[in-house]
Amino acid sequence: MLPEFLDFSMRTRVMGSAGLVRELGDQVSRIGGTKAFVVSDRTLEKLGLVGRAKDSLTAGGVAVAGEFLDVPPNSDVSVVERAAAAASGAGGNVLVAIGGGSVIDTAKGMNMVLSKGGALMDYQGLGLINEPLGKLVAVPTTAGTGSEVTNMAVIKDQAARVKYSFTSPYLGPDLAVLDPEMTLGLPPGLTASTGMDALTHAVEAYISLSANPVSDALALYAVKVINEWLPEATHEGFNVEARYWMLIGSNLAGAAFSNALVGCVHAMAHALGGLFDVPHGLANSILLAPGLEYNLDFAAARIADLAPSFGVRPAGPAEETARAVIEAVRSLAKECGLPARLRDAGVREDGLAEAAEAAAMDGAIFTNPRPATAEELLVMFRKTF
Amino acid sequence: MAVFKDASEVYECIGGLFRRAMTDPLSQKVADSKIAVRFNYSEPDSAITVDAKNPPPGQPYAIYEGETSAKPDVVMTMKADIAHQFWLGKVNLVAALAKGQMKAVGPIQSIIKLIPVIKPAFELYPQYLKEIGRSDLVQ
Ligand SMILES: [Fe+2]
Repeated sequence: MLPEFLDFSMRTRVMGSAGLVRELGDQVSRIGGTKAFVVSDRTLEKLGLVGRAKDSLTAGGVAVAGEFLDVPPNSDVSVVERAAAAASGAGGNVLVAIGGGSVIDTAKGMNMVLSKGGALMDYQGLGLINEPLGKLVAVPTTAGTGSEVTNMAVIKDQAARVKYSFTSPYLGPDLAVLDPEMTLGLPPGLTASTGMDALTHAVEAYISLSANPVSDALALYAVKVINEWLPEATHEGFNVEARYWMLIGSNLAGAAFSNALVGCVHAMAHALGGLFDVPHGLANSILLAPGLEYNLDFAAARIADLAPSFGVRPAGPAEETARAVIEAVRSLAKECGLPARLRDAGVREDGLAEAAEAAAMDGAIFTNPRPATAEELLVMFRKTF
Repeated sequence: MAVFKDASEVYECIGGLFRRAMTDPLSQKVADSKIAVRFNYSEPDSAITVDAKNPPPGQPYAIYEGETSAKPDVVMTMKADIAHQFWLGKVNLVAALAKGQMKAVGPIQSIIKLIPVIKPAFELYPQYLKEIGRSDLVQ
């Protein structure tokens, strides 16, 4: 098949090694940063991770012009506006985000406002940012969202109960610093669910209608790495090697889905997150296998392609191999101690219909191999309840 | 050379498509979207707003050609040539956005929501152009 069009972008320089945060200051300085504005959250501050990064900045000759440490677990339009105002007052020339997806996405939002002026919502749209923004460096503290390399930011409007997504090839940070020592303290449950989020990015990117050859290559290896290392990272939290590889897997998956987008599993997870506050990774983990089953008739060959990455030996027709892949997804989640049913994740049965309606309208549904109506999604929710 | 020689040709062809679509089953889905979209065209400069947020009584949506006080949720900007190709179903949306041939201001969810809704218009447009004696524009 001759693909119609290829568009792949990843502008982020990725550097990784154990203890790399100790050189954060040197690296920020090398890209021309002299006054940093630090973005993070209070939990990471208490754990000493923010202090570690700030010490390194100062040691590398980068002044800390200011900080915003009040990023909530789900970033918000008003938070971005407040943080951008604080950064503007502080007058730095590089944003340094230390945290998970919410922190890094907040910094991306701030970067748009600080570089282009106006309000965050002015940049809701497609094809609006076509030139480099200010300098942004990201240090991920979870191995899940891959936000340190993605071209997108998801920011909630708490008041309106809507999630906005911003996208531009220039939203990706200039530098991602992958230091497994920054993720050592992550508890098993969070390690497992954020890791399953990363796995879902890779799997959904691979079967997405917008997949391309470059994202395919990244997705296949991401699945292999995550499948191999997630159980160890979950059960031996202080295993630096496992933590390193999970950061790599999440990063590769991020680069893949940032270009190929995702599908019905994410659409459903977004809906459950909005209605029941189900953690994103947990919802993805529960729904990944059912979502793949739903797509079986439309994407059996693509799902079967994932077999070697899951350590599954391809055998018989594609559909049979694809079923074995789906079983491998189930057993990985189980091995990591994650539940398989929505009722165990705080979902209420009487809210499923509303969740299905929301999922059918989610942007992610349009790149899912098999079209999905609210009725079909509801069947999947019920089966998984 | 541009497909349309002036704004009135844009309104006759693309504006006419939107009017013609009012009697097509797809208009119900546009009405259900409750979204107002403004298309800003260049070469020739022209603008069409399709407003399903505040439709006139008994109609699926309102159409305004040129300047209007109707407030759009989404503003799409492109050359009129690209719009013409788009309604003929010949534009890959992802490619057009990536190449900078189109841009959209407004909630991405709303934009994505509209894509499946407007697909039937790709068949309607060439048919309509033939009806108005402009089959020269259908290649
Ligand atoms: Fe995700």
